[in-house]
Amino acid sequence: MNLYSLSKTSAMRQLLLAALVLLVSCTSTTIDEFRQGETGISSTETVVILGRRQASDYETRAEFVSCVGERMGRGENALQIVPEQEFVDAMFPWFEPRTAPLRTRDLERLMAENVVAEKMLDFGVRYIVWLDGFTERTDRSGSISCTVGPGGAGCFGFGSWEDDAKFDARIWDIASMSSVGTISTDATGQSYLPALIIPIPLIARVEANACSRLADQLKNFVNGS
Amino acid sequence: MKNTGLNRSLLLLLLLFGLSSCGVSNVVIDGSFPTPNINKMPIAIAVYYDDALKDFAYLEYSETGQEEFNIESGKSHVQLFNVVLPAMFDRVVFVDSMEEVPTLGVDAVFAPAIEEFQLALPMKTKLDVFEVWIKYNMRLLTPTGDYIADWVLTSYGKTPTETFRSVEGAINDAAVVALRDLASSFALSFNQVPEVRDWLNNR
Repeated sequence: MNLYSLSKTSAMRQLLLAALVLLVSCTSTTIDEFRQGETGISSTETVVILGRRQASDYETRAEFVSCVGERMGRGENALQIVPEQEFVDAMFPWFEPRTAPLRTRDLERLMAENVVAEKMLDFGVRYIVWLDGFTERTDRSGSISCTVGPGGAGCFGFGSWEDDAKFDARIWDIASMSSVGTISTDATGQSYLPALIIPIPLIARVEANACSRLADQLKNFVNGS
Repeated sequence: MKNTGLNRSLLLLLLLFGLSSCGVSNVVIDGSFPTPNINKMPIAIAVYYDDALKDFAYLEYSETGQEEFNIESGKSHVQLFNVVLPAMFDRVVFVDSMEEVPTLGVDAVFAPAIEEFQLALPMKTKLDVFEVWIKYNMRLLTPTGDYIADWVLTSYGKTPTETFRSVEGAINDAAVVALRDLASSFALSFNQVPEVRDWLNNR
C-alpha cells in the first residue's frame, strides 16, 4: 500500500465519520411561546414542574419532567426547582392524577385548603409548570437479520424510524392564581440502524433535544427575559 | 463418557429453561405511601382487616388459559390503610376481631374489602401502558356491628411501557399508582358519602 492510497483511505474514513455525525444530529426542534402575563422570580422563590397524567392512552414520563427540572436548575439564571416526586408526596393526596387541579380556578379552590396553602408556602412555590406530552415512534422501515454459526455471529441489514416528541408546558403563577403562558415544543428526528456484522445505532436524541430547548425557554420565560 | 456428561448438562439446562419460561410469575406489590396532608376528623374508629383483604391475590391468565401472573397486593393494602387512616381520624385502633370493638369506646368500625381486581397488559390491549383497576367495598359499622354506610370505590393506576423495565416491575408500578389513587379518593371523598355525611351530622 503506497502513501497515496493510505491518505485516500483515511479521507474516506473521515468522510464516513462526518456523515455519521450528520445523521446522528439530524433532529429539528420548534418552540412556540404564548405569553399571557408578566413573569419574574426572586431568589427565595421556587418552581415546581409536574407531569400531566390524566390522558387514557399515554402519560408524561417522569424522566422527561426531571430532565427539564434538572436543566432549569443549572447554568446562567438557574432557578430553584422542587423535585416532582418530593412535591407530590408532600402534597398527597392533592396532586394525584385524579385530584390534581386541571384549571387555575381549581387551583384557587385548592389553595383555600389551609394544609395545601401552608405546604405551598413551605416550599416557596411561585410557579407551577405543567408538562403534557409524549414521544411517538413512527415510519419504521427496513429489516435486520442476525445469524449465529460455528464460525461466529453477525447481523446484516438496515433499519430506520422517526421519533416525534410533542410537549406543552403551561405555566401557572401562584401569586396571581392565573395562567401566565404556554410553551410548546415539537422535536422530530430520524434514527438509523445499519448492520454490517455488528449493528451501529445512530440514534436521534429527539426527547433530549426537546428537553433542553424547552428547559432553556422556560428558564427565560420565568425569569421574565 | 465425557459426552454423556455434556449431554446431561445440556438436558438439565434445557429443562431449567423450559421450567422458567412456563411457570407463573409472582408479583408482590411493594411501594411506599406518603402520609396524607389533610385535616383530621374528630372521630375515633376501629379498623378491621379480614383475611380476604390481608391475603388478597389476583391471578391473571394468558390468552391460552395458562396462569401468567399471581399478583399479591394484600400486604400493600394493609400498609396503605395503616398510613392513611391515622392521618384522617383523631384516634384509630386496629383490631384482630370484631368482638374486641365494643370495649374500645370508638365511634365506628371501618372494614374495607376488595371486590374486584383487573389488570390490562400492553400485549393484550395494544396500548403502551400497563393498567390496574381495583373495585372496593368500603364498610362503616357501629361498634355493635350495624351498618352506617356501605359504598363502592374504584381506583385506577397506569404506567407506560419502557425498554428496560420488566413486566413484573411495570405491574408493580401501576398497582402502586392505583393504591395511591385509592388513598386520595378515599381520603377526600369520605365525608361526602351521603350516609357518612348524615351520620357525621347527627353525632
